[in-house]
Amino acid sequence: MNEDYLLNKHILLVDDEQELLDMVLSILTEYGFQNVKAAKNVKEAMEQAEKSRPELAILDVMLPDGNGFALMEQLKKGGDYPILFLTACGENDDKFKGFGLGADDYIIKPFLPKELLFRVMAILRRCYKDENPLVCLHDCQIDFSCAEVIKNGEHIPLTAKEHGLLSVLYRNAGRIVTIDALCEAAWGDNPFGYENSLMAHIRRIREKIEQNPSHPVSLVTVKGLGYMLHVSSQ
Amino acid sequence: MKSIPKLIRRFVGIMMLSIMLLVCLNITFFAVVFVRNTSKFSPWDMADHVAAALQSTDDCYSLSDDAMAQLKEENAWAVLINNDTQQVVWQTDNLPDNIPMQYTLSDIAELTRGYVDGYPAFTGKAPNGLLVLGYPKDRFWKHTRASWDYDFIANLPRNTMIILVVNTVLIFLIYVAANTKLLRSIRPITNGIQNLSKGSPVYIKEKGVLSEFAEQINKTSEILQMQAEQLRKKETARANWIAGVSHDVRTPLSMIMGYAGQLENSKKLSEIERKKAAVIVRQSSRIKDLINDLNLASKLEYDMQPLTMKQENAIAVIRQVIVDFMNTNIDDKFPIKWKTADTLSACYITADKALLKRAVSNLIQNSINHNENGCVIYVSVDEDENTCRICIEDNGKGACDEQIERLNNIPHYMDCDRNTTEQRHGLGLLIVKQIIKGHHGKIIIDHSKYGGFKAVLIIPKNLS
Repeated sequence: MNEDYLLNKHILLVDDEQELLDMVLSILTEYGFQNVKAAKNVKEAMEQAEKSRPELAILDVMLPDGNGFALMEQLKKGGDYPILFLTACGENDDKFKGFGLGADDYIIKPFLPKELLFRVMAILRRCYKDENPLVCLHDCQIDFSCAEVIKNGEHIPLTAKEHGLLSVLYRNAGRIVTIDALCEAAWGDNPFGYENSLMAHIRRIREKIEQNPSHPVSLVTVKGLGYMLHVSSQ
Repeated sequence: MKSIPKLIRRFVGIMMLSIMLLVCLNITFFAVVFVRNTSKFSPWDMADHVAAALQSTDDCYSLSDDAMAQLKEENAWAVLINNDTQQVVWQTDNLPDNIPMQYTLSDIAELTRGYVDGYPAFTGKAPNGLLVLGYPKDRFWKHTRASWDYDFIANLPRNTMIILVVNTVLIFLIYVAANTKLLRSIRPITNGIQNLSKGSPVYIKEKGVLSEFAEQINKTSEILQMQAEQLRKKETARANWIAGVSHDVRTPLSMIMGYAGQLENSKKLSEIERKKAAVIVRQSSRIKDLINDLNLASKLEYDMQPLTMKQENAIAVIRQVIVDFMNTNIDDKFPIKWKTADTLSACYITADKALLKRAVSNLIQNSINHNENGCVIYVSVDEDENTCRICIEDNGKGACDEQIERLNNIPHYMDCDRNTTEQRHGLGLLIVKQIIKGHHGKIIIDHSKYGGFKAVLIIPKNLS
């Protein structure tokens, strides 16, 4: 999966601890992000946001001249881009408040660099996937924008359900997605009883994306638990 | 308190039973004494008996030896008054001197009703006269003017019944009045005691005969409320302190973990240096887990973590936990096997999803932490009519019988009021126990059939 275009995204990093700011900056730049700007308070953050037009903001909740939640609301006025909270406020109430205000993720300190990078990449992939419409699998390519599979030069259309299921699997590519999460994505909040329908849809997706649907390579079953989509790098 | 009226009823019942018993006892005692202190015959019968035993032969009278002996035994004397002459025609030898030998009709009427010269006299009809039997002066008391109105006798059963009924009604009214008054004054006291046991604040008006009790209960309530408030403050302070410390530790620990994580993956460092960085990352992660566990455990312990109970499909919840582990478990040392029957696709329970996930995660993490050489972890869900059973087991090194017994029965050091260092194990299992307790369920720790450790969480489907 070619994700280089994601590393060019502008990221705004806000935390009042200079040392932590330096560390996160080094984690992101070492991974390959080229446009990361740091701010130590709300005022600096607003200035940076105006200057650099960020495409992702990583915010602390407790700041010397305000709080991250209020800052998020101000930033959102300037543009609708994803926000990730990186904070020591681990209370559920804080977390719910963040998500309630429209945060895309909430990481409680302390964290491992890998976790931060995984989450940042997941958000960017989710929010900017349209820029990379062709997803390469072992035997075919998926064009999510046109809802079709391109296999052996043939364009095979995807139904709405198949598109929805493949989108969820793609967002979690390389990871297992549970039967329940897939049913919920396809049939809504009360997904009980759709397991057989899900199996039928998976079978039809495999017929479209696999060379040999009986021996799948891209969309594999994890017995009793769910399914995993393997995406090839270009 | 329902026991107080019952107590009063029992007390009154015992009192009435005692009265009845006493009356019966007294009647029996009186009857025994009466029988003991009276002669074999009544004096009137005795007089008839002596009159019948008196033989007349040619103007001469003689009394049988048997009757004479009886008279002697009773220390009584007798005279026979002739019907025609009203003169004494026969007498016993022991006749007192001043007994008249001649009687008028009025004398006879008098003696029949009462006494002869102070001696209680009884009469019997002899063939030619009247036999008068006299007893010693202190032997009998005679009621000389006894007479009852016939109506009184005729109405006696009815009147007795009325008196009995009136008495019963009166006793009942007295009982009800006394009981009501007593209950009215006791009720606030009993309600107060009841509320004390519930931990609610109590105030009773300090008046009436039981005002002293009311005062004491009010004082006790004040003390209890004060103690509860102090305890609550202390618990809140302790939980806040833990939350505060864990908050303050998070940022410095982030930096340790962050830089160590970078060093661990740095290509510029040697293998040995990267391994050292990996140890720092691993140990920092342990501190992070410990902080999170300590925070949650203290909140659960002091009821500061509200449980958001909802209908949840336990299978979907547990499946997600396993998948999260599988998605983050980079090496394959700890494969997780899903052993739930294919036929069971839903098992609905009332639960806090996040906490249930935490409990199962802790148990899986325990298997990982205690088997550094790797193990297979088996997770299954099954159900019966009322409960859902979540089983997490492994084929690792497990625990000995003594450890299992300790984990099942000995409280964790955070729950223990003794100053002991014996049970110093992690907080993971304590949190599981606290969460399951919050769901009114139970946890059973045992040996696994796969050879390692096994924990079964039994959660009721409905909290009611």
